[in-house]
Amino acid sequence: MNQTLVSYLSQYEFYDVLIGIFGKNEGLLAFVIYLLFAAAIVGLCATIGGLGTYAERKISADIQQRIGPNRVGPYGILQFLADGVKMITKEDVMPNTADKFLFYLAPMLALIGVFATLAVLPWSSGFMMADLNVGIFYLIAISSLVGVSVFLGGYASNSKWSMLGGLRGASQIISYEIPVTISVLSITLLAGGMGFGTILSQQQGTPIHWFIFHNPFAFIAFFVYFIGALAETNRAPFDLPEAESELVSGYHTEYTGMRFGFFALAEYIEVFVVCGVGAALFLGGGNLPFNVQFDIIPLQLFQVVIFMTKALILYYVVIWIRWTFPRLRVDQLMSICWKYLTPIAIFNLVGNAVWIVVFNGKSIADLVFGGH
Amino acid sequence: MISLISYLIISLVLFIVGLVVMISRKNIVAILLGIELILNAAALNFVAYSRYVTNNLDGHIFSLFIIVVAAAEAAVGLAIVIRFFQIKETIHIDEATQLRN
Amino acid sequence: MFAQLLFLLSAVLTVGCAIAVAVTKNIMHSCIFLLGSLIGIAGLYATLGADFVAVTQIMVYVGGIVILMLFAVMLTGGKDFVSRAQNLLGLAPSMGNKWTYGIGLFVGLVFLLTNIKLLSNIMKSYPAKTFGNEFPSTVSQIGHLLVKEHVLAFELSSVLLLGALVGAAIIARPRKQ
Repeated sequence: MNQTLVSYLSQYEFYDVLIGIFGKNEGLLAFVIYLLFAAAIVGLCATIGGLGTYAERKISADIQQRIGPNRVGPYGILQFLADGVKMITKEDVMPNTADKFLFYLAPMLALIGVFATLAVLPWSSGFMMADLNVGIFYLIAISSLVGVSVFLGGYASNSKWSMLGGLRGASQIISYEIPVTISVLSITLLAGGMGFGTILSQQQGTPIHWFIFHNPFAFIAFFVYFIGALAETNRAPFDLPEAESELVSGYHTEYTGMRFGFFALAEYIEVFVVCGVGAALFLGGGNLPFNVQFDIIPLQLFQVVIFMTKALILYYVVIWIRWTFPRLRVDQLMSICWKYLTPIAIFNLVGNAVWIVVFNGKSIADLVFGGH
Repeated sequence: MISLISYLIISLVLFIVGLVVMISRKNIVAILLGIELILNAAALNFVAYSRYVTNNLDGHIFSLFIIVVAAAEAAVGLAIVIRFFQIKETIHIDEATQLRN
Repeated sequence: MFAQLLFLLSAVLTVGCAIAVAVTKNIMHSCIFLLGSLIGIAGLYATLGADFVAVTQIMVYVGGIVILMLFAVMLTGGKDFVSRAQNLLGLAPSMGNKWTYGIGLFVGLVFLLTNIKLLSNIMKSYPAKTFGNEFPSTVSQIGHLLVKEHVLAFELSSVLLLGALVGAAIIARPRKQ
């Protein structure tokens, strides 16, 4: 069934009080709750995206034995606000020969595609905007808007660098969608559903019950997913669409000011979203490591903290990879996707299906310790 | 307020627009766009009838197959367009006259 | 309330973008309007309670077909075609003359009138059913239908997709002179 945030909150007593305040108008109350939570989540994610730029510079400085930004605020942590103010006040330049309509549309599409994925991201077992029963499928589908926006940004700028970057970006994103989707599909097989609620409820308990340790194939699937997600978000070592040594800065070369800021923000939030999805699908999401019989709001907030911790650890790994590995060539990029990742992902899918039939759906932990 | 007839009207508009695009455009890619609109109009009808008339999910299955066929058609169609462009260096539909006479 | 709002928004998006596809001269803009129209149709599916079909629509069209079309436009000249493009007002029929248009209009009118007659009967006998607050889930039922009743069509569509994959690769491959 499709659960939503409102149907979760309606089990508490204060919901009845709220209904009284709104004069028995449940539709209006639901609208207000959704609006408030949407604003909260978008604000939180924009902050995470902004802090992502700061973290990127600080961690890269650490890896390269520099100090990094340290002027604005304590340890330079307010640097992203300064960057934001700079971007907003900059002049908005558009190339004379650009396709005006598409030029304006592209950054918006990037932001829409990323923010729409936040609707199903499982912050905790109760705090999801909507626990659709097609949750993960919806997330993969709607995030492909980013691919369209990369292509359009490259095309509309009417510049050689942008064009090459956009072509590379679009072909890379639609290619790497295949191994990512097949890896996710094998998790869907294990969980028996596509909704995040179903997937999370199967991984309750200690880390050995996480799907990454369910069987060897799921273990491989996590790495296929992670590599594919790196490529889908245009992160190094797959950041060919914005390779600064060959393409200036790729599809957003001609963008200035806040339009460039939209692209950058969308990229950083998308990295957080794919890390969160990886944490939810393979690493148990916000599940507590012990069983509790009751459900109160502070416990849910604790789950949010656990989920954020896992996602941010993956975020750190993404940045770490970026400043450690050299960039690939285009032909290497495509051969990795089509010759290695896609066959491995299909092999994993078949392997998972066989495992479910042979061992009756039990995980390694169940077989060793005898459970379920 | 929402009833079967509202979906059918939308589907009708989509079908007519798709037909107009197919007839009036000379760009082969634009003709493929029109075909997509027409296929979508049909799929929308199937789902609407499945909800309001038959009350089972066969309409959903049918529209899923329509989406599959549309994907296959787009892939092969665009491959033909690209091949055509390699040979004729244009994608004007009136240039496709090799089989005439 | 929300379903009606979603329906109105999706309907306006669908019809508006579809008409924009027809009247825009620039083929690239047409592709983008087609994208808007397809997303609107996904919204209409959602109001019909067809969640799986809606998401499949977005997945296949946004992630696949529209990007393919954009690629094809770009590889075949893109903007250079704008000057030669025909729109509604130019009315340069590539598939007929005034006779075919006239016959088409006549047939269309007859078809429309017949349909209205038929539909009015349907509307009488089948009053619109409404869902409650919760839309029912269709995923598991579609899964069962696909592997039980419609398994032949399911397998045939996989053969079709494989054929399309191989065929497209062979056709688009540059040949050695």
